[in-house]
Amino acid sequence: MDKQSLTHPTLGFGLGLRTQHFEHVLRHQPEVDWFEILSENFMVAGGKPRYYLSEIAERYPLVMHGVSLSIGSTDPLNMDYLKALKQLANEVQPQWISDHICWTSIHGINSHDLLPLPYTEETVKHVAERIGIVQDFLGRRILMENVSSYLSYQDSTMNEWQFVNAVAEEADCLLLLDINNIYVSARNHQFPPEDYLLQVAPNRVQQFHLAGHSDYGDYVIDTHDHDVCPSVWELYRRALTRFGGVSTMIERDANIPEFDALEAELAIARNIARTTLGESHPLVYRPRQETVV
Amino acid sequence: MSQLREIQQQFMDYLLASAAQTPVAETIEKSFSDKVAEQGGVGRDIRMQIYANAYRIRLTEVLDTDHEILGLYLGDDLFARMANGYIAHQPSRFTSLRQFADALPDYLASDAFFSQYPIISDIARFERRLLNSFDAKDERRASFAALQSLPADAWPYRQLRFHPSVQLFECASNAVETWQALKHQQVPPAPDYQGKRAWLLWRGESRLTEFISLAEYQLTLIQGFIHGANIAEQCELMLNFFAPEEAMQQLLQALQAWFQLGLILSVQPND
Repeated sequence: MDKQSLTHPTLGFGLGLRTQHFEHVLRHQPEVDWFEILSENFMVAGGKPRYYLSEIAERYPLVMHGVSLSIGSTDPLNMDYLKALKQLANEVQPQWISDHICWTSIHGINSHDLLPLPYTEETVKHVAERIGIVQDFLGRRILMENVSSYLSYQDSTMNEWQFVNAVAEEADCLLLLDINNIYVSARNHQFPPEDYLLQVAPNRVQQFHLAGHSDYGDYVIDTHDHDVCPSVWELYRRALTRFGGVSTMIERDANIPEFDALEAELAIARNIARTTLGESHPLVYRPRQETVV
Repeated sequence: MSQLREIQQQFMDYLLASAAQTPVAETIEKSFSDKVAEQGGVGRDIRMQIYANAYRIRLTEVLDTDHEILGLYLGDDLFARMANGYIAHQPSRFTSLRQFADALPDYLASDAFFSQYPIISDIARFERRLLNSFDAKDERRASFAALQSLPADAWPYRQLRFHPSVQLFECASNAVETWQALKHQQVPPAPDYQGKRAWLLWRGESRLTEFISLAEYQLTLIQGFIHGANIAEQCELMLNFFAPEEAMQQLLQALQAWFQLGLILSVQPND
């Protein structure tokens, strides 16, 4: 029997808020349901980014997505970073906060990359304990995202989805499932991506990420610089079938196109959701509030 | 040491050794390679190399973004030399990439090769100042009326508080003139080390970062106010530059301009 869902109602379809689109978003107020911000980009005292953030926060729901929590590191948690994160959350009032199941720094040196962890009981315990500390500090459940990876360790005693489930269960956190990352890791580690989807516990999946990657034939790199590819769209359709109407967002971090091109990609996601879940599903049917004078 | 910590230490050692652009010490590579599983598809060396490349490329992109004009000045080969050297010399200890290149001007001033051309470090330092102005805290600015509304006998003992984006930049080269030429896609002037130059940077009401050159008396004046001098003290200082009847007028003109530019947050009594 499925466990009771722990997730919040769906926000619909969102995009990553990027500097290049600040002015467009404010001026045209496009029909995007919500935006995801990269937390670290706004951990500055003021200036243009903070101005646009506060203006856009008045018009759209926002979620905060971080890359520097380094939850799996064996260094102590960076409390200065956590304080800055909490302060930003107090100002932005995000719907939720997320980061990655990975490590980024050791001995105080930051790789600025989402480095993979060995999938062991020791790591599950370590990561879950630290997520618990972060959740207590922030006063809310956070979302943890599966990362793309290019290598695995001799020490691993379980596969990635078993590890992700175990961390989420032991930490009592939510999950951000990156569909593209599942595809990339499946190609690099030669497992069927559907196996991953079918094994992740549905009651904790709060958000989906979609993105493009670079395909080098023998391996795939998660570059976020291309459109979402057909195989990832197909995997997204399967994810909707398994997990239902999960808030969906497209990430683009390089080779960033005009905003209209991202809206067109989001329309593809909406269409897949419509055909998979039906017109009346809360993810798909989102009436605009209108004021009648 | 836990297995997890050992893996993380060996992984980071491998990334740093790879970024040092010298052949990765065999023991470092082997220590980490022994931890990596052999899988189908591509070999362990390529899997590890993907991370080593990503580390170097990501940090190089930060330098390129933060120091776009310096990159134009150096050209591709020298920029690559600078980026490789800095990345090897200065691993990031920051959670945000925004601070990664903070030590770049010092690196360029101390590196045996780049220090032969001090203008390169000056351009980097100027670009750091621009970034600091860009990200500084927003605060409401005062108008000249705030000073005018005070009784005349209160003026001498008033100090000024400046907007957080206000920065001073001093150098002994024509770094800013070079930066401006490149920004406007013009041929930069030849390096010139004749005389000190000073610039004032700030972010205006429109949130654009701006800068102007400062004459020596203007630099002295604003430095004094920034360090807490009051109007009377600064008026006296102006006597070093101007005749008595002109000193007060010059100071007033400067104050008026600073208010107009949005540099002043408040006029307050002496500490």
